[in-house]
Parts: sequence; C-alpha cells; structure tokens
Amino acid sequence: MSEPSLAPYRAFEPDPRPVPVPYDPQLEPGLGSFLDLVERVPLRAHTIVENRAHFRTVIPDMASQAEGRGVVWEDRVVAGPAGSPDLEVTIVRPASVSGARRPGILGIHGGGYVLGTRFFATGDLIELAERHGTIGVAVEYRLAPEHPAPAAAEDCYAALAWMAGHADGLGIDPARLVVMGASAGGGLSAAVALMARDRGGPALAGQFLGCPMIDDRNDTVSSWQYDGIGAWDRNNNDAGWDACLGAARGTDAVSAYQAPSRATDLSGLAPAFIEVGSAEVFRDEAVDYAGRIWRTGGRAELHVWSGGYHGFGGFSPDAIVSRAAIEARESWWRRVLREQG
Amino acid sequence: MSDQNTPTAQGAPGIAPVPFDPELLPELEAIAAEAGPALTEENLPSIRVAASFPDAATATAGRPVTAEELSIPGPDGAPDLEVTVFRPSAQSPTPLPILVNFHGGGMIVGHRSWEHSRIVDLVERHGAVGVNVEYRLAPEHPFPAGVEDNYAATCWVAEHAEELGGDPARVIVMGGSAGGGFAAAVALMSRDRGGPAIAGQLLLCPMIDNTNSSVSSRQYDGIGTWQRDANLLAWRCVLGPELAYSADAPAYAAPSRAEDLSGLPPAFIEAGAAEMFRDENTEYAGRIWATGGEAELHVWSGGCHGFDIYAPDTELARAALASRDSWLRRVLGRSRP
Repeated sequence: MSEPSLAPYRAFEPDPRPVPVPYDPQLEPGLGSFLDLVERVPLRAHTIVENRAHFRTVIPDMASQAEGRGVVWEDRVVAGPAGSPDLEVTIVRPASVSGARRPGILGIHGGGYVLGTRFFATGDLIELAERHGTIGVAVEYRLAPEHPAPAAAEDCYAALAWMAGHADGLGIDPARLVVMGASAGGGLSAAVALMARDRGGPALAGQFLGCPMIDDRNDTVSSWQYDGIGAWDRNNNDAGWDACLGAARGTDAVSAYQAPSRATDLSGLAPAFIEVGSAEVFRDEAVDYAGRIWRTGGRAELHVWSGGYHGFGGFSPDAIVSRAAIEARESWWRRVLREQG
Repeated sequence: MSDQNTPTAQGAPGIAPVPFDPELLPELEAIAAEAGPALTEENLPSIRVAASFPDAATATAGRPVTAEELSIPGPDGAPDLEVTVFRPSAQSPTPLPILVNFHGGGMIVGHRSWEHSRIVDLVERHGAVGVNVEYRLAPEHPFPAGVEDNYAATCWVAEHAEELGGDPARVIVMGGSAGGGFAAAVALMSRDRGGPAIAGQLLLCPMIDNTNSSVSSRQYDGIGTWQRDANLLAWRCVLGPELAYSADAPAYAAPSRAEDLSGLPPAFIEAGAAEMFRDENTEYAGRIWATGGEAELHVWSGGCHGFDIYAPDTELARAALASRDSWLRRVLGRSRP
C-alpha cells in the first residue's frame, strides 16, 4: 500500500484552461484597487497570519463606521455552541426605534473562512438599519485553520438561535429573521439556513448569499477561468478551503454544513437571494445552487452581473453595474421583509 | 419504448413548482378566470384575432416619440415585411442606438402591436430608434420562415441605419418569449453568416429549448402563464411532428441546440423563477460564460412567464425593468460614437 498523500486536495486541471469572461470596463479601476488594497499578499497557507493582520488595518472600527449614520450600536457577549466559547456580537439598530417589532438580520462577514472580523459585516447592517429599519447582529465566529469547519457555521447558528431566543428583548420580529453574508459569509449564511431547516428552527424569512463560497471542490469552469486572475482567484480559494477542511477536503466526508454545495437536499430552505459576478470563481457554484433550489420547488432569486469581479460592488460603487446590483438587492429586501398578512 | 421525439412527463406534473410571488397572485387568478378558447392548433385563428392591442399611433399618443410604418424586403423569394419604426421626436445630432424587436406569442400567435408600448418606453428612456418587426407565424409558415424574416429585418436595419437616424455599431436585437428565441437565433445567424455586427442581445424569458425536458418545463404543467401544453403545441407547429422535441432540431429554430455559443454579442437573459423557461435560460447563460462570452442573468424570485407584461405595477416588474435599463446603458455606452 502506498503512503497516504500529504499533498492537499487539488482539482483535476483542464487543458487548455477555459478563456475567462472579460470584466466590465467600468469595473477595472476598482478591481485594481481591490488587488492593491486587499490582496497585497496572495493568500496561501503560510500567509494567513500576515493577511489577517493586514485585513484588520483595512476594516474601519465600529465608531468610524457608525459616525454620522442613523444607527446606534453595542457590543455583547452571547453563548456559543454547546461546549464552545462565548461569542462576541455587535448589535446595530436604527437610531429612532418605534414600538413596532423590526426584522432581524444576522450579518456574517467574509474573508475566505480564514480572515476578517465582524466589522467587515457591519457596513451592510448599518445600510439596512437606515433603509429598512432592521436590527442587525454581526457575529465574531471562529476562523480556520485553528478552528476547522464547521466551527464557524456552528458559531453563526448559535448567534441566530440567540437572536431568535431574545427576539423580545431585542425588539425583533421573529417571523422576519434573515441571514446574510458575502463570500465566506455567504457560504456560512447558506450553512446556517441548512442547519435551521434540519434542526427545526429558528425559522428564517430569507437567506442573502452574496458571491457565496460554498463548494470546496473548486472544480467548476469559472473556478478555472480565474486561475491567477482577478479578485479571490482559485489559488486563494484553494488556500481557504484547505484551511477549513484539511485532509477531508474534496472527499465524500465533507458535509453540507462545511460546504453547502455538498448538500444533497436543498428543499425546504428559506427564500434565497443569490448574487455573483459573471467574471469570478464563484459564478458557477452560485448558479448551480440556485438551480438546485428551484428544482425542488424552493424560492430563490439569482443575479449574475455581467463582467463583475468578486465583490465588485464594494470597490466600484459608482459603476453602472454596481448601482444596478444595489437596486436589485433593495428590491429583494423590500419583498422579503414585507410583513406577512 | 423511449423515443427522443416524445417529451418526458407530458401531462404528468409531480415536481413541486416554485411558488409565484404573492404580488402576482391576483393577476394570475384573473387570467385563470378569463379562460378564453384553449390554445390548440384549431383555435389559433380565433385566438390571433381576439387579442387586439393599440396601434402605433395610440401607443405614441402624448409621448415624445414618433411612429412610422414601413415595408421592407423579406428574405430572398419571400414576401416583404411590415415594420414599425419608433424614434424620439426631438432630432438628435448624433446617430442613435437601434433596438430591433421581435414580438412574443410562441411563434404561433401575436402581432408586433402587442409590444409597441414596451418599445415606445425603451425609445423614450434610452433615446433609441425602435424597429418592431412583423414576421410570419407557424404552423402556416414553419421554420425557418419566422427566423429568416427576423434575420432579414435585422440586416435591413443595419444597412439602413443612417436613414433611420441610427448607429450601425449599436444595433441590439431583443424580444420576449418567442421573440427572445428569435433574437438569440438572429445573433447566432449573424455570427455564422458574417452578418451585421450586433452590439447586444436582450433576451426576455426567451423560448429557446424545443426538448421540453428541463425540470422547470415540467414544473409549470397546467399552471402559470405559458404552460407546458402551449409550449409543446408551439414547437410542433414550428418544427413539425418529426423534429418538434428532438435534440436534432436546428439551432436557428431552437438556440439551445447550438453546439457553439462562443463569439456572440453580449447577452442579457432574464426569466422568472416560476416559469417553464427558467432552466433553459439559466443553462444558455452558463454555456455562454463557459466560452468566455459576456452574459448577464437575472432570475426573479416567483416570477411567472412575462410577469412584467401581466403585472407591470409590482415590485418585481419594476425591479426587472431597472436591471434591463442598466444593462442597456452599459452595453450602449461602451460603443458610443
């Protein structure tokens, strides 16, 4: 018998590599800024610590994020999953709260499951509080590789359970709880939605999956189109999934809570909003996930923006495509937050 | 016995459909209650006559848009084509983009007047020239009559762009449902035949897959707008009994049959999540991207086929229109003279 391989999982390489979809020309300056500011050091197993330190300098603290905005915020510590440490959360509320119960949003930050803090998710919660009067909770979940998957998803689920269990005190309408996140935060949101279904609650009114990172196999056409190209290219993606899953990566041992694309049953989930760029690694896995939800009779909305790089809205906010993406999101929020009659 | 020309699961729903958006339900109920003559081949003449829509003068009344009826050459050996040309009333110092529209109706019913108001809106919002094309319908005129008419019209428009006040570098082909299928086919034909340069293809819930084999084609069997039976009838009328649902059907009839989707103009593809064409539309976008081509895809949650036409005053329809407008601004802005 041969020795077990110590080499990490890698998908079979197509030859030739598929031609990438070009970027929207209006997005190219923003992509340059993204690469200069966020991905100064390529993410690899040995650069995770360095990238974390850098990431922290990129994200403004809560006081600066909230300054001049129509919100109030507070930090709290809440119970983690059974047998695991407590969780730090930041609660973001509209500054003027009426007596009415507000929708509650669990905001889950991105960063490839290995980077970032909850303050990478609070920007969206501030926007939503201002525009829709929502009460947001950003959760500090455990990162890989120190805490392999599904530790992060369990932390996020625990935060959701805390929100539902404390809805009265928080002023949240428990019938309008939504999970949201982008990139790894989108993957964790999808995982939390699966857990909420399988564990009989909390009931979710929606799951917002921005360019979600959900498939550890990294073997779609789009994952090969962005090999060494663009924001969060396939090599970064390999580094993130290696950290999450170690030797189990790419095997049948990977569970749906670790990588939601692995779920064999996508029926009975909360209505999904799935958004992705056509010019990024996650395009095909996002489209596949939406398609599999629909084929079960489930509700999902899918937007694939032409020429969009990973996270294009954040670094190219004034491009026409970015403004349209915000409009489409806003429309979904209006629909999903409608009070049920 | 399995026959590739027999669509699976005909008349046998059993796959839970994606539910409709709640805001669409009153309109869907009203449509179901109207229940005109069943869509059968025998009823096509009466259905065609029964649906009447405003003519061009009515569609432009009170709008800063003019309308002109033209007769242009059809394909070689075929009759001339009637088209309606819409233009902004104000003279433009620069050539305008041109939208060439093919109406919906399953390739078996419909008239360009059905979509005059959609085109007038776009002409007004985008400062474009709109050309709304009348093509021949099946089964009287089966494939390739309709698509050759639409290709001939597109060639004529490109050649006469300047007379129309338009910019030949910014010709967009567009349509909804059958019209979206025609627009996709015209884009393929123009690529393959070295025809006019097309700046974009705007495909609204396009009818492109004759096999009726997707999950969504079975989810809307007996429910919704444009149901499975109608689609089966339409493809049989267009392709005849032999090729109706066959994987060997020609690509210019059913663009999903095209083996190569590379080198096409940028595509905008929109569908409802709660309609037959959802899966074929999503697949078409995916196959364009896989070649490195440009496509934008929007699948609106709970949208029925043609939701923006049936229920324009809804959150869903307004959002879908905003996305279309955004794409048109992007694709037209890139090649502005």
